[in-house]
Amino acid sequence: MTLSVALGPDTQEGTRTGTAESTDFLAAPDIPWNLVIWNDPVNLMSYVSYVFQSYFGYPESKANKLMMEVHKKGRSIVASGSKEQVERHAVAMHGFGLWATVEKASGGSGGNSGKSGGPGQGKGKRG
Amino acid sequence: MAKAFKYGLKGITGYLEPAERELLRSLIDDVISMLQPEERKGQDPLAALIGLDMDVAEPSDRAVKRLLPNVMKDDGAASLEFRQLTERSLRETKIGALRAAALDLDKDEIVLSPDGARHWSMALNDVRLVLAERLDIQDEEDAEHVHLMQDWSQAEDVESYLALVYNFATWLQESLVQAMLQRLDTHR
Repeated sequence: MTLSVALGPDTQEGTRTGTAESTDFLAAPDIPWNLVIWNDPVNLMSYVSYVFQSYFGYPESKANKLMMEVHKKGRSIVASGSKEQVERHAVAMHGFGLWATVEKASGGSGGNSGKSGGPGQGKGKRG
Repeated sequence: MAKAFKYGLKGITGYLEPAERELLRSLIDDVISMLQPEERKGQDPLAALIGLDMDVAEPSDRAVKRLLPNVMKDDGAASLEFRQLTERSLRETKIGALRAAALDLDKDEIVLSPDGARHWSMALNDVRLVLAERLDIQDEEDAEHVHLMQDWSQAEDVESYLALVYNFATWLQESLVQAMLQRLDTHR
């Protein structure tokens, strides 16, 4: 995983939108909801990656990693946050035609680290 | 024959033959008519104005349901509640993108602003989602099977014609998204 490359633009994104960052900080103690993108045989891999890059501002490497996870594992958690935040993302994803749902973060079983370090959207990192 | 979209000095450009534009226009019109919310009697005009729709139901048509999916996997009641608050505006967002793309079809050469390109990619995606439901593309294997259909002289029934149209829309969207990714890359 190319972590240094992946974190750079994310951090810049955060400093540019100062208010978003501080809100995320306040919401950080409980991040109870996940945005899940599901695999389907229609959406182009390039398009899914484009949506992750342009909408969430994720760097190409991270967008491609999440896209491949959707493709291979059938689903991927692409953002976390308050219920309102992930619901807003879900509507945007539906606007793009991606198959998105929201779900309560399960805490234990998923192996998600939960709390995300970076500003902007949560990471739902695996492993 | 259409030319693939590309990113250059003028922005994102593409070229379509009149027959191809006509085809796309009718596909777009079909999807718009599927998304147009039906006018119901006795609907609260104020609620409609702010986008609320208390009478909304989960779509019975599979293609419409794919365009407007449930927001929760195993909670129909919560998904329905969410629909009441958001479905109308989601329909409007989609119709807006489809209409914007249809307007660009008036000229042979298509020159797209960043917003225009986004609308086009969304419109082509929705067109493909609807065609895929009609073609019953359920998994990667079905998609592969449809993808094999490339020769227009083979189009002898509705299904093979739909498959060719789907493949054309796929090719067009792929070239557009590649141009959009290139644009994103140079602006980073």
